Amino acid sequence: MNQRHFSRHLPLIAFSVLIGLGVMFFITYRVFGGSWETMTNAPNYVSLIIVNALIGFCVLLFVVELRWDALRVILTVIFALLLGGLVTAVFFLDAANKYVQGEFRVQVVSDAEPLIDMGYGDRMTELFNNPNVDEPVKEVSYQFVGREGDEIAVLAYVEDRNADLDMAVALLDANDEVLAEASGATEEQLRTFRRYLKTENDAVIESFVLPADGTYSVVARMENPDSDARGEATVVVVSEGGESPVDMAYNAPVGATFNAPNASDPITEAAYRFAGSRGDVISVLSYAARSNVAVDLEVALVGPDGAVLAESTGSTAEQVAAYRPNLNSERDAIIEGFTLPASGIYTVRTQPEPLTTSMRISETVSQTADAYETFLLGPLSRQNRWVIWMRDALTLIMLGLAIAIVFRAEQFSLGADGQLYFGALAAGALVLAFGDLPKILLVPVALLSAATAGFLWGLVPGVLKAYLGANELVSTLMLNTVAARFYEMVITEQLQPPDAGFTTSDWFASNGLLTPIIDVAGDQVTIAVYLLIILVLITWVLIQRTPLGYEIRMIGANIKFANFGGVNSKRTIMLAMAISGAVAGLAGAHLAMGIHRRLILNISLGLGFEGVVVALLARNNPLVVPFTGLLYAYLRTGAQVMERDANVSSEVVRIIQAVVILLITADALVAFFRQRRITRRGTIELDDGSGEAGGLTASAQEVAHG
Amino acid sequence: MDNTLFESVLQGIFSSAFLASILRVTTPILLPSLGALISDRAGVINIGLEGTMLVSAFTGVVFSAYAQDWFGASTGADIGPWLGMVMGVLMAILMALLLAFFHLKLKANLILSGIALNVLGSAATIAIMFELTGERGNTKGSLASLRMPFIQLPEFLRDIPVISFFFRIFDNQSVMTWIAFLSIAVVWYFMYRTPTGTHLRAVGQNPEAAASVGIRVTRIRYLALVISGVFAGLGGIHMSMGYLTFFQRDMTSGRGFIALATPYLGGGHPVGTGFASLVFGFFDALSNRVGSLNIPSQLPQMLPFLATVLALVIYALQAQLTSRVRTLRSAEGEGFDAVFWKAIQRLSVLHMFLAMLAVFGVIISLSMFAAPNGFDGPETAYPVGAAVGAFSLALIGINLPFMLHVERIGRQVIASAAASSLTLWLYLGLLFGLYLRTTSLKDQSIVLGIILGLVAGIALWLALGGQYLMRHQRREASG
Repeated sequence: MNQRHFSRHLPLIAFSVLIGLGVMFFITYRVFGGSWETMTNAPNYVSLIIVNALIGFCVLLFVVELRWDALRVILTVIFALLLGGLVTAVFFLDAANKYVQGEFRVQVVSDAEPLIDMGYGDRMTELFNNPNVDEPVKEVSYQFVGREGDEIAVLAYVEDRNADLDMAVALLDANDEVLAEASGATEEQLRTFRRYLKTENDAVIESFVLPADGTYSVVARMENPDSDARGEATVVVVSEGGESPVDMAYNAPVGATFNAPNASDPITEAAYRFAGSRGDVISVLSYAARSNVAVDLEVALVGPDGAVLAESTGSTAEQVAAYRPNLNSERDAIIEGFTLPASGIYTVRTQPEPLTTSMRISETVSQTADAYETFLLGPLSRQNRWVIWMRDALTLIMLGLAIAIVFRAEQFSLGADGQLYFGALAAGALVLAFGDLPKILLVPVALLSAATAGFLWGLVPGVLKAYLGANELVSTLMLNTVAARFYEMVITEQLQPPDAGFTTSDWFASNGLLTPIIDVAGDQVTIAVYLLIILVLITWVLIQRTPLGYEIRMIGANIKFANFGGVNSKRTIMLAMAISGAVAGLAGAHLAMGIHRRLILNISLGLGFEGVVVALLARNNPLVVPFTGLLYAYLRTGAQVMERDANVSSEVVRIIQAVVILLITADALVAFFRQRRITRRGTIELDDGSGEAGGLTASAQEVAHG
Repeated sequence: MDNTLFESVLQGIFSSAFLASILRVTTPILLPSLGALISDRAGVINIGLEGTMLVSAFTGVVFSAYAQDWFGASTGADIGPWLGMVMGVLMAILMALLLAFFHLKLKANLILSGIALNVLGSAATIAIMFELTGERGNTKGSLASLRMPFIQLPEFLRDIPVISFFFRIFDNQSVMTWIAFLSIAVVWYFMYRTPTGTHLRAVGQNPEAAASVGIRVTRIRYLALVISGVFAGLGGIHMSMGYLTFFQRDMTSGRGFIALATPYLGGGHPVGTGFASLVFGFFDALSNRVGSLNIPSQLPQMLPFLATVLALVIYALQAQLTSRVRTLRSAEGEGFDAVFWKAIQRLSVLHMFLAMLAVFGVIISLSMFAAPNGFDGPETAYPVGAAVGAFSLALIGINLPFMLHVERIGRQVIASAAASSLTLWLYLGLLFGLYLRTTSLKDQSIVLGIILGLVAGIALWLALGGQYLMRHQRREASG
């Protein structure tokens, strides 16, 4: 680069340096939560900052290498992310439903004496004639409400047969007129009510039909107040109808669950009756049962005649404060300080507030935004997530480099997965077998053997393609499955320790592990970072500065032209696929020796395809692959965080991946926009020299430049 | 190895039930294969078959399950499968149109767009399954999906002696299996007997020439991709509503990719594609059967995929040979001996096929060395593995010269005959021997196997063209 050239590119370089620094500072700031102390307290924080500086440098390279194309890459990713956002929104379409479902409570708060003491079936027990108190109880009175036509039986009985307490009972109406009386029970009555009555001393009013709606009282007394007999007597009103006309009393909450998700017949509204006297001052509360239930309630008070007396759809902050802990939020509804106009049975009706479309939309949008925020910032939210991002990125960058090499030669080899399996297997088997060799020997040998295994497995489809013309796409896909099964077989049959609970090899000896440079609670970033820098440089030199790389680029640009130009295309294609295999094998070694620290089943799970995205985004440029690998690993890590925190399937990121591939290879899109630019400027810049020619086809111009 | 277990597995393999299971597992390979064939012949190979199958499999399951809610249990059970099939195929067509739009309109790379389609299909089905059912693995238990009806043949056929054997093969097969095999004829008719089919083949062979005679290349390619989508959709429906009765994530497990290989193996012809699919079906069914033997289950699972690679190799070698013969024909003109070269070509396929089968032996022997514990421990595995490996390498070695230089088949007739019949003898002897073990001739199985193998090997060699070569050579020697 001569002086004139340099000065011409100065603005670009300055711009990219600024962006790189910005990215570095932003990441460092987020990871440490913006706190200087957190940073200096963190172990290995210097290494972490160095790695962040490397990330910044990757960004710089990305901008410098791709220039305007970088803009297209970023725009494509942003567009795909927007689409991904739409997909995420699908998961929150029913987000607003939380406002109409959940457990609720209804309570009538009042200081007034309750109008009634009991309902049908309630057993009221009192200790009669206790000599140890000043005024022993000789007579009790209980109120209950009944409906016209209810057929009831009133019983007063003594549970203890030996108590010798002789009871009498009377039923009175609201005006204290005696409606019925009894002082004993017949043999037949004893049989009929044998669940209650014990002796003929117990009293029963049988089959009494209530004349009107209203309150009634039961008076139970000792038949002979002067006797010494003492004991516990129970009063109960039994109704043939069985159902009490009231559901609740003052200050006693009742409740249920609205729209329970798994109920076959979910409740959508509820009504509870209570009895009140004229002049009672009450407050009616309808509230979510727990603070994490978000149901939004409304409540109405209905009088005895069916007229709605008061309604409420919410509460004020003061009311929430006053009625804590019952009320928790302003979504809960309250009718405060209502004075009952007459005695009788009132009904409290409550239901979730109906959802409006705007509520549905705003709730979906806000939840999606929340989830997407965890997606986009998740990898920086904790140090260990940053580590996971980094080590995923290292693997993806290696795979991206591997794919970039073959794609540069226009060979659609997808064999990275299989080569990765064999790389991992070779490195792993070596480390497991020779765990006691010194580290300085073992690690390089293991890495080398992984690269060799990958090279050989890449050589197979290479030879098939180069010398036989076998479709490399199909052959690599098939060989991937063969490799995966072979790997699986060796792990299950040979490497799995007999006592292992699930299919995995033994842990590697520490001599066989890549040395960690950053360790956050067991999650490590290893020296693979530095090895990767060398690998990127080697790949770049191979493609841009060696005869073989030149041939690879020639073949990629135009294979017929390359053949005419004397390129041994068969040998070159074979070597390109094999070298790509070697790099993919190293990725496998990194997975085994740097991340999992043993051989696990499903070590890859389609990583090869993700390498394709990384290489495509980088325009198969080895210097840009680190940035796109980081970018894609960032999205992957973010998606995992989102899956955990927001319960959105992490497959969203693979949908984004598909969209990115489609858009980044759609050459006509570029042509369309370029057409616009030309029309606008009226000129065509020819000496630009950047990789404007999109897609895989590295332009002939580019080849000539390299 | 347990002898009785081994024999029961053998009996399973040599039975009509095994043939029936071949048909069953061939169906989800055959249907997308026909799709791949049509798209391939139009010059727009549809890599996205795998993802398309997943989408239609999932759509079918969902609609068949919801049909019971919408139309009531009994009506839903009747129309549910068909509704699922229609919706599944419609979704598959949408996927194909997406690919067609991006490739034909937006000029995206066909192969990479196809990859994107696969990623999309896999991810979208899992994501929507999670949204609908809360499950990440499969819909078993969470979606009460239906399956396509199974066709019962008339009962009286069961009692007719020879037909009863076929009855047991074809009875109680899914309607999708029938659709699949009938589709071979439909595709053949479409490709060779309709104008559109002819245009389609023309477009695939030379798009510029086709365009110059007024064929609308883009429209034909749209059509080809849509048809491939339909077949992939049908294949997907069979996966989730016949082969299994629920949707499972990535349940097609590579069948969409195998389907890309079968047209190559089948010589680009529907009938050939059908046979190629049956080969994969055979390996698939075989891997299910021998799974109960005391060997690692992964080994038989590799076979179909390995077979695909080998099929690619054979196809590629054949394509090279054909073009060479074509050059020779134009160079020699009148003096070209067509029958002679036909014979050589057939025999070269034989050599290739035999060598490729031996590759299985190499893989088995490698597996035995890599994981001896899976094969009764190192004491058994190492010697057996070494023997199998040595034999396989030897077989490849004696056949290889005739693969690399096919002229040698003509020049060294005796050596070629010896190599191929020796190999055939071994294979057929093994096959007969194994078959006889399941019959009453069990004790003589080894001797009979050796004799039958030798006879059949030589007979096959003669039938494929050896007999002509012998005569030819005698003529050359005398003249």
